[in-house]
Parts: sequence; C-alpha cells; structure tokens
Amino acid sequence: MSLIHSLHVSFVVFLLGLVGIYLNRKNIILVLMSIELMLLGINLNLLSFSVSLDDLLGQIFALFILTVAAAESAIGLAILVIYFRLRGTIDIEFIRLMKG
Amino acid sequence: MFYLFESDFLGLIPETFLLLGLSTLLGYGVWYEKGRESEMTSHQLWVGGLCLAFTFILLCESPLMNMILCFNTLIIDGMSAYLKALILLSTLCIFGLSFSYLQQERIKAFEYVILLLLATLSLMLMVSSYDFISLYLAIEFQSLGLYVLAALKRDNEYSTEAGLKYFVLGAFSSGFYLFGASLIYGLTGTTNFEDLGILFTGVGPTDLFTQGSVVVGLLFLSVAFLFKISAAPFHMWSPDVYEGAPTVITAFFSVAPKLALFGVLIRVFYLGFFDFLFSWQQIFFFCSLASMVFGSFGALAQVKIKRLLAFSSIGHVGYMLIGLATGSLQGLQGIFLYLLIYLVMTINAFSVVLSLRTHEGEPRFLLDLKNLNLKSPILALTFSLTLFSMAGIPPLAGFLSKFYLFFAALDASLYSLAILGVLSSVISCFYYISIIKLMYFHKAEEVQLKPLVGIDGQKGFLLGITFFGILFIFLYPSPFFLLSHAAALSIS
Repeated sequence: MSLIHSLHVSFVVFLLGLVGIYLNRKNIILVLMSIELMLLGINLNLLSFSVSLDDLLGQIFALFILTVAAAESAIGLAILVIYFRLRGTIDIEFIRLMKG
Repeated sequence: MFYLFESDFLGLIPETFLLLGLSTLLGYGVWYEKGRESEMTSHQLWVGGLCLAFTFILLCESPLMNMILCFNTLIIDGMSAYLKALILLSTLCIFGLSFSYLQQERIKAFEYVILLLLATLSLMLMVSSYDFISLYLAIEFQSLGLYVLAALKRDNEYSTEAGLKYFVLGAFSSGFYLFGASLIYGLTGTTNFEDLGILFTGVGPTDLFTQGSVVVGLLFLSVAFLFKISAAPFHMWSPDVYEGAPTVITAFFSVAPKLALFGVLIRVFYLGFFDFLFSWQQIFFFCSLASMVFGSFGALAQVKIKRLLAFSSIGHVGYMLIGLATGSLQGLQGIFLYLLIYLVMTINAFSVVLSLRTHEGEPRFLLDLKNLNLKSPILALTFSLTLFSMAGIPPLAGFLSKFYLFFAALDASLYSLAILGVLSSVISCFYYISIIKLMYFHKAEEVQLKPLVGIDGQKGFLLGITFFGILFIFLYPSPFFLLSHAAALSIS
C-alpha cells in the first residue's frame, strides 16, 4: 500500500466529516460526530505522512490531536447538556434564537 | 552535562507567573469562602487584576528580547512582546468592566476570573508559538476556555446557544487548520516556521509542483485563521456569538483573540511562507475587500447594539487585513498601530454600552440609545466621539490608524484596496452617524426617561482613559509609532 492509497482514505474521511457538518439537518450530536470524523481523517493523514517520511513528528502531532479532541468533545457535550436542559431539544432547526 | 531547558524558563517568566497566580486563585476559589460567592468574585477580580499587572511588569522589564525556547517551539521577539502587552492590557480592561457587570447580572461564578486568566495565558502562548504543534495546542487551549466563557450564563438561552455555535464553528476551523498543517508537514517533513521559511527560500513560481501543493495547504490554513478572526466570507458566526455571550465576554472576544490571531497570521505567513507572497496575498486581498464591504453594509441592517458592534469589528478586521495583504514592513506597522487603537476604541465603546444599563436591565436595541443626550450628556458625547473615531473622522485616533494603513496599501500598489477602504469607511460613517442622531436629535417623546443605573469607579476610569486616548493619540503619536515600528522590525 503506497502513501497515495492511505491518503485517499484519510482525505475521504476528512471530507465526509466536512460534508456531514454542512448537510446534517437533524441534530447536534451528529455535528459532534462529524467533527470527530474530521479529526480522525487528519490523524490518519499525519500518520501516513509520518510513516512515509520516516519522521516521528507526525506521530507526536497525532497523539496531541487525539488528547485535545477528547477534551474538546467533552466541553462540547457539556455545553450541549446545558443547552438541552434549557430548551428541551437539540434539533438544529431550533437553534436560531438569534437571527442567522 | 546537558541541562534540559536550562535557560528557557527565564524567557517564560511572565507566563509562568500568570499560571502560578491563576492556580493560586483557583485553589482559593475551591477551598475558601464557600457560600459567599458574590463577594468572592469581586476579591478574585482584584487579585486577578493584580496578577495581570505584575505579569505586565515582568513582561516589560524582561531582559530577554530575542530568544527561541523549548526546542524551537516558542519564540520571544519584539512582536510577541508588543502583542502580549496589548493582550494583558485588554484583559485588565475587561476585568475593570466586570466588577459591576457580574454583580448586576448576578453571575456568582469564580471560574469567570480563572477562565479569563487561562484564556489570556493561552493567547500569550499563541503569540509566541513558533511551530505548528505548539500553535495548535495554544489555539485549542484558547478555544476551550472561550467556549465555556461564551456559555457562562448557564440559565440563559442566548448565552448557551452562543456557546454551542462558537463551539461548532471553532472546532470546524481547528479541523481546517490541522488539515492544512498536516499537508504542509507531509510535503516538507517539518512543522517549524523558521525551517519552513528557510526551506522555501527562492521557491518561486518556477517550481509549479511545490507551489501548487503548498498553496493548497496554505489555503486551508488561511481559511482556518480567517474563520477565527471572523473575516468576511467566514464571519456568519460572529454576530450570533457576540449577541448571545455576556457583554463583557463579547468585549473580550472582540479584542483579545484578534490581537493574538493577527500575531499568529503574521508569524505564519511572513516568517514561514513569505516566498509564496503572491499566492496568499490574493486570499487576504479578497477577504479584506469582502470584510470591509460586508462589515459596512451588514451593519446598516442591524437593530441590536451588540450585533452592530460585531459587524463594526468585522469591518475593522477588513482594514487590518489590508496591512497583511501589503507584504511590507509599513503594512505590518500599520496593523500593529491599528490593533492598539482598535483596542482603545473597542474598550471605550463597550464601557459605554455597559454603562447604559437601566433598572430594567441591559439595553439590547439601538433604540435604547435614544435621547441619551438628555439622560447623560457626557456619556453621549463620549460615545459619539468614539463612533466618529471608529468611522475615521480626522482629528481622532481612528483616523490615524486608517490613514497609515491606506498609505501602506498605496505604497504596495494595492490601489483598489485603498480606494475601497476609503469608500467603505464612508458607508460606515452613515450608520455611526445614525446612532449619533438617535442619541441627540431624536424627538423627545412624552414618555419619561428611564434613569441609568450609574457608573462605578472602575468603569469610569476606563471610560476616561480610553476617551483621553481617542482624543489625544493623534496629537502625539510618536511613542505609538515607535512601539509598532519596533514590533514590525522584529519580523522582517
């Protein structure tokens, strides 16, 4: 398997995450999942570059991204919980209290 | 024997001090004074302010002017010192605004001070980061703090919604940043800005492969940063977040992260990728045009105060991007000068907005400003001169900064940007002046005027000092020119 093959996979995963954020009209949990998918694609990207360059830096970067992504989704879920407590819904259609 | 990080901590003394100070405050908040939260926030604000002031002194008195720290991941130079000083000052101003606000809104959370201090620390690290990895960590550090701050009023629907929107778009733009950084890492095998700069020396338009593939990475990087500074095609989140977040937090959002992000933009694009100037210049050219146009036309349609200020800040970001697009020393100096004056004007505008509070609550609509002249003539005068300064009317500070940037654009032959900048500041004059009309010339109706709550000492001090700056920077600008010039020189 060459670099290009694994890059195809990671690009597709990244783009799926990206498109998921835009096309999703259901609820915010899906947005959070799409964000995680984006970060996963980036991690795969970094790891395959790191292997093909024979350089450790990419793997270190990927480890950092993993930990930070965990912290980020924790905060995102916390905000989601207080939002749900107030509004009783996490539907994207209803997140337009302010215009825009 | 090899000592790890032997002298690096000497360069990081201000940051270390801030970190230790805020940890102490956190301990104080957790263990002490349980049940007396409202007094405690005031104490914490005072101590936090003191902590910031000492950090500022440590920063200004630091003997280390140029240094690369921690295995090439952080750097100290003139620009980082200048921007860090501005960031500390802006947080200090936000603390000054918070005293009465926290009491009036009954926000009894000591986390407020600690989160603000953490955000300040992360912004300082962001300004001095010198590597894609450390920059990513600093950006996420900042974002995680700011998401929570935006959703600080847990029982308010607007605030939580603002937090949620800010979170989704912040995570989205971080994804873009990481993707761009991973592409550049894959192409070059390095993440250090200086190494990138050295590697790309002389890679001109002749080497089409490198050119093309690096530009894709640069595009992702610049989109991420433009998202974060809310420049025009990527600005749609900012009015919502600014409106929903508590007002002091809005003031913080519209000043401090922008200071740091402009530092980061300059560091990445002027140090790392300067040889691709003609590629990224077009991106910033377009975004600057779009921000100026959207900023001024979007503000015309607004009826709420904070949304109007958000659009006004989008316009200001557009002017600052002119300086970035020039690719010259003069443009950088223009940005640094603009950032300073923008800080002064924004703090002044937000202190006026916070002083407009009546006993019924915070003003939300522009119509609440009507007949301000009768309620408080001095406040009306201050606000109208600030608005004139934001519009760039000559004898005030805002004119100086715009003038300098437009001349930098003319020198770099970006004539269309300069002309459009002047035109859009004419359009922005329209809505600024319409506010002044509301304050002064609105027909007094029969309804009795609701009295204002009154201004506390800290806010009064801030109003006075920023107003002084707006009036008199134009008369004696040379210290500010020198400071911004020193900051710009360290980049070239």
